[in-house]
Amino acid sequence: MAIIERPVPVGVPDIPAPATPTRTFGALRRPVATTGWKSWVFTVDHKKLGIMYGAVAMFFFIVGGIEAVLIRLQLAAPNGKVLSADVYNQMFTMHATTMVFLFVMPMAAAFANYFVPLQIGARDVAFPRINAFGFWTLVGGGIIVNLSWFFGGAADGGWFMYAPNSGPVFSPSNGVDFWALGLQITGIASLTGAVNLIVTVLNMRAPGMSLMKMPVFTWLQLVVQFLLLFAIPVITVALFLLSFQRSFGATFFDVSAGADPLLWQHLFWIFGHPEVYILVLPSFGIISEVLPVFSKKPLFGYPFVVFSGAAIGFVGWGVWAHHMFASGLGPVSVAVFSIATMAIAVPTGVKIVNWTMTIWGGKLNFTAAMHFAIGLVVLFTIGGLSGVTHAVAPSDTQQTDTYYIVAHFHYVLFGGAIFGLFAGFYYWWPKMFGKQLNERLGKANFWLMVIGMNMTFGPMHMIGLQGQPRRMYVWTEARAGEGFFNLAFWNRVASIGSLVLSIGVLLFLINVVKTARSKQVAPLDPWDARTLEWMTTSPPKEHNFDAIPTVHHLDEFFHRKYAQDPVTHEIKQVATAEDIMRDQEANADKHIHMPSPSYWPIILAGGLPVIALGVIYAIPVAIVGAAIVVLAMYGWSLEPSTAPDTDFDPPASGDGTKELAPLG
Amino acid sequence: MIRHSNKRNAVRMSKTVRRISAAAAGLSAVALLAGCAKNAPQDTWQPKGPNAQKIDDLQKPVFAIAGIVGIIVFAAIGYALFKFKDRGQPIPEQTHGKPVLEIGMTILPAVILAGIGIFTFQTIFDLAKTDDTEMVINVTGQQWWWEYDYPVQEQYGITDPIITSGQLVIPSGTKVLLRETSRDVIHSYWIPALNGKRDAVPGRVHTLRLEADEPGIYAGQCTEFCGLSHAVMRMETVALSKDDFAAWVKGQLSLAASPTEGSLAQEGESVFLNQCVRCHQVNGLKKADGSPAIAAPEDNVWSGAAPNLTHLMSRNTFAGASWNLLTKQCRKDVWEASSEEFGKRYLAGVTEECLNQTDLRRWLRNAPAMKPMYADPTKLEETGGKYRGMPNLGLSEDDIDKLVAYLATLK
Amino acid sequence: MFTNGSKYLIGVTGFSAVVLVLYIALVDGAVGGVVALSSIMLAVGLLAGLALFNRDGDVQVGDVAAPANAESVGSSLWPLVSTVGIVAMGIGLITHEIVFLLGLVGLVAGFVEWVIQGWSESASSDRRYNASVRGRLIHPLEFPVLAAVGAAVIVVPFSRIMLAISKTAGAIVFILVGCAVLAGGVVFALRPNLKKTVVIGLCAVGAVGVVAGGIAGASAGKRDQLVEANEEDHFAHKECGEEKSKYFDFNAEAKVSMRSNPTATIEFIGGKLQARELGLNAPRTRITIQKSANISVIFRNKTEGEHRLTLHYGEKEVQEGVVEELHTCTQMIEEGEEQILTFRIDKPSIASEKPYTFSVPGVDDQSIEVFVP
Repeated sequence: MAIIERPVPVGVPDIPAPATPTRTFGALRRPVATTGWKSWVFTVDHKKLGIMYGAVAMFFFIVGGIEAVLIRLQLAAPNGKVLSADVYNQMFTMHATTMVFLFVMPMAAAFANYFVPLQIGARDVAFPRINAFGFWTLVGGGIIVNLSWFFGGAADGGWFMYAPNSGPVFSPSNGVDFWALGLQITGIASLTGAVNLIVTVLNMRAPGMSLMKMPVFTWLQLVVQFLLLFAIPVITVALFLLSFQRSFGATFFDVSAGADPLLWQHLFWIFGHPEVYILVLPSFGIISEVLPVFSKKPLFGYPFVVFSGAAIGFVGWGVWAHHMFASGLGPVSVAVFSIATMAIAVPTGVKIVNWTMTIWGGKLNFTAAMHFAIGLVVLFTIGGLSGVTHAVAPSDTQQTDTYYIVAHFHYVLFGGAIFGLFAGFYYWWPKMFGKQLNERLGKANFWLMVIGMNMTFGPMHMIGLQGQPRRMYVWTEARAGEGFFNLAFWNRVASIGSLVLSIGVLLFLINVVKTARSKQVAPLDPWDARTLEWMTTSPPKEHNFDAIPTVHHLDEFFHRKYAQDPVTHEIKQVATAEDIMRDQEANADKHIHMPSPSYWPIILAGGLPVIALGVIYAIPVAIVGAAIVVLAMYGWSLEPSTAPDTDFDPPASGDGTKELAPLG
Repeated sequence: MIRHSNKRNAVRMSKTVRRISAAAAGLSAVALLAGCAKNAPQDTWQPKGPNAQKIDDLQKPVFAIAGIVGIIVFAAIGYALFKFKDRGQPIPEQTHGKPVLEIGMTILPAVILAGIGIFTFQTIFDLAKTDDTEMVINVTGQQWWWEYDYPVQEQYGITDPIITSGQLVIPSGTKVLLRETSRDVIHSYWIPALNGKRDAVPGRVHTLRLEADEPGIYAGQCTEFCGLSHAVMRMETVALSKDDFAAWVKGQLSLAASPTEGSLAQEGESVFLNQCVRCHQVNGLKKADGSPAIAAPEDNVWSGAAPNLTHLMSRNTFAGASWNLLTKQCRKDVWEASSEEFGKRYLAGVTEECLNQTDLRRWLRNAPAMKPMYADPTKLEETGGKYRGMPNLGLSEDDIDKLVAYLATLK
Repeated sequence: MFTNGSKYLIGVTGFSAVVLVLYIALVDGAVGGVVALSSIMLAVGLLAGLALFNRDGDVQVGDVAAPANAESVGSSLWPLVSTVGIVAMGIGLITHEIVFLLGLVGLVAGFVEWVIQGWSESASSDRRYNASVRGRLIHPLEFPVLAAVGAAVIVVPFSRIMLAISKTAGAIVFILVGCAVLAGGVVFALRPNLKKTVVIGLCAVGAVGVVAGGIAGASAGKRDQLVEANEEDHFAHKECGEEKSKYFDFNAEAKVSMRSNPTATIEFIGGKLQARELGLNAPRTRITIQKSANISVIFRNKTEGEHRLTLHYGEKEVQEGVVEELHTCTQMIEEGEEQILTFRIDKPSIASEKPYTFSVPGVDDQSIEVFVP
């Protein structure tokens, strides 16, 4: 779709073409702003979209974090009075929903959007307008999900939203409607993103980059996109059934009409378990970039990491029922899923070994990014090992739905996914913004987060094993046990820990502001990095690379900078990043046509929340929304993805052989 | 060169690892034990019956293995971080891995897990058995309390079905099988000291084995999120010796007698007939015309049930086992009684001096204020006008006095 | 940005919107008027949108191709389609509604295509370019519509065929068609250079076959089984009386999730009724079930002949003074078969004078008491 590049054939005689008009279609002229808000809102540039994904995800991280702190404040003391039962139930539902669907997934998408094309040496993603559409859809979905706070209360059934508790009888506010429709909309974002990135990775790699020469981050993102491609439809079906039941009186999960409530659980967890890998694999990818760079060694066992990632992608589909060991599936199913769950621990363990062996024998440089990467390895190991303890189904029947599980998945998702994302922030910030985040603040940020995270979630292991269930808006002294270190003590520690954690995150935000204000520009290659995204300016130009590099090695950039002395086997620097940059600029491609900005993605995405509101409140509104969608689709398909130069207002000067097309 | 030093490191490493891991294992074990609450009623590591014991026997080695693996990994990482810090050493060789090591490290965990898997398999099927059952009890969950009924089983003296709620009473040393279902949403029955949890799913009947070694009270909590008051949906399982259990059964089979003429309790009975009998059944209670008073909770409560109060004062708890009918001291006496004493104390029930009047009155005054419930009459459109939980009945203090007097007679 | 034509049409849209609002405000209860006015508004709005999109067909910007230089246009199918549409509409008025509707569709489609083609042919002097212009405008409409028509051509006739033939034949046909499609696919895959006409010919034969079969199927009507099932309301089994049909679906209730969760199994062995409760192994004549919960039991007939299990569970006053007995039952099943019965009892046993019982109609001395505490 997108014309990424159109080299002019050399030596072809200039034959006059038939009189072909150029300015034919589209009532609305294309957006042309290159600065100001319009240049962001209508952009199709994967880098701008990546940054916007990141900003939106960060916003929701703060929202979800505030929700988490409120939960911990309520539970700091017995019989908490901070939140009512109703608000508490909404709070933990929305905390999970926000963190999973509106923070970690979009943040991983932010990195994928920004860095996958750069790492494979492409100029943009395969479908730039769909990319923009995906982003605005996510924004719309996020707004719908959270709008419920202001319209009679948010969803209150837990993020797993088990039927029949999610039905209109048991959850009569509109919260669940907003939730289900909002997530269907964000699902569209994930799905389009997945298709887009899969096509990009498979078709648009730089010459010479075979799949096994692809950076690990891109590899694991590819696995994640395939997981999304198959998982999102499942949850969409489930959510669609739920919406239908709530809004139009269907009885898919209505027991009195003969439904089996376990249907929802199966649908949800067939999505829900791969979702765990969707959340954590991007971060695995990030630290698989960070660890080698700061160890000055390639990733240990690259093919093993890649294939274990793919193995997780496959086996991840066969373990969903381990979320249902107490649901009454019968011993045969439980046994099978228990064994399958243990099996998936193997490829995960392989990764830990590989990361450890990567730093083993290296030349370690403890930057903030490295801190977070090592933090991930350690914390995820804890989460993984506690995971093995409840892969054992009988002990899971003691542990499931207690705080032990809360501890487990926060070690996996906070210690795993979020620490990886933070490693990514510190590692790639100079690439994205041309300025380095303050390293000292970064390390303080890391230590506060590590201490806060262990204070918050560490005690939950004990709280859970000593019998405190999850999702309770109050706990009482009567069941807290005796002694100084009773459950009350550990609950208090966890609550204090959540505040420490918040300060850690706050420090990151301060760091961001401080860095934005600072005038110090980052060097071209601050970390002595290994992969293609560092082979261009920081931040990269609109078209990413002046010349698309030809790839000969895994870690191409490193191999261009360093070479091994054939006699002494010593590794010596042979070129600097600046040398390589100059070389690229000297051989720049001519006539790079980049995809043009467009109004249609945001208009099309804007129609979807209107439909959702219509389904909840008044069908005619939904019809208006559908009309917007249809019209926008029509407009979109009429508009060529790359505007001819003359379709700008005013028409671009010159004879159309400018080096670069004007970009929005 | 680098490879060479690696090998030496590895040798030294293995010793260090052993030493560090031994120390760390000891330390963390001590820290863990010291850090635990004492006598937490829902502790999953203190089995009090053979089913929970089986789980415990399985989980302890798994925890130990996980701990050891963790310590080895952390020691290796810690060592590497310390050892390979950039001190100006040359750039290491750009090796891409050692397949033999990789494959080894894939097979090793697989073997360990396969070992765990075999024992897991066995335990799963052991805990799912139903054919060695000695006693069956129906357990029904609804928002936000549990109902228990005992099918006729002559060998235990249960000649007529028994119905109760809040506290499940079982004979100790007997293999009890619970048949769980639900009347509205999914709940989960969990007595950690006796067995793992099992969901009660509407439309399905699930079984859960329960057996207590000794007489005593074992606490539990609904563990599947079931809506507004999930946090205050509790349960207790009371194990009695076989003789005590027979005595309990005998008590439960009796009908409620009318209070003495002219007493406050008798006035309370008529308040009960006016207000409470719409939902709550008291077996033996008669209307003014002498016909039995039949509650119709199905017309008033969405789940179609409200606790049967015939023997309320034998139960020690009310409102989903979340509040005590016993005063603090009396409750302590029962909970902390030795296993020989326990039966006697429990069977004494709630005597007049032990009755926790404060909570009971607070409940009768305004139940939803104490336990969040779906009981606002203006917001019942979705449920066809039916409540979920007990509404505020707007009783006068006078009525409450009478009702408490009446309820105290329901031994 | 706005062209003259679109300005005019936007104005008309706005005007009709105002009229609509005034109409709703001033005239109440007239649904017809509202529908008519909103239709007008939508139609004009659509036209405005179209005019806006193609800039009133102002395609000549920057193109000064003289008409004399223009290549002559090719042939067009659309006058023919439109004519056929008109004729079909005429015929439809006399014969059948459906013909009229098809004609109308043909007419509209032909007309739209005609207009777009005509417009695109004046776009420039470059024919290839004109074709691409037409494509970009009409393809977003054409492709989905054609795909839907194509799917309908397969789905509708095929479903008619499947509903008309017997269950066994249905399975065979399904397998054969599946194999044929697979074989065709294999041939096309192995011979990618197969002549286009051959491919089209094969597809056409297939399509004609399906359509012909569909017409035959539709005229034959549904198989007796389905017709009877519908007439006797087998799908919502409410009767405990004599079954009229031999076609009842006896396996409908034997779902896996239900089978794994029955409270009891009730067997009718050698003329005797006995129950086995979950967890209690000895056969019993009295079972206890939970009140106000959906409970399932399995009924197994191990006695010669057809029998069913009936549950009587008290009475209910349906109206003032009208008391109805509450009962539910399984289907009549042959020896060796089984059925699931799911029920919910809302009143405890003490509320009823008669005990609740399971019994087998026609067998008087056998029953199982159901106790509801």
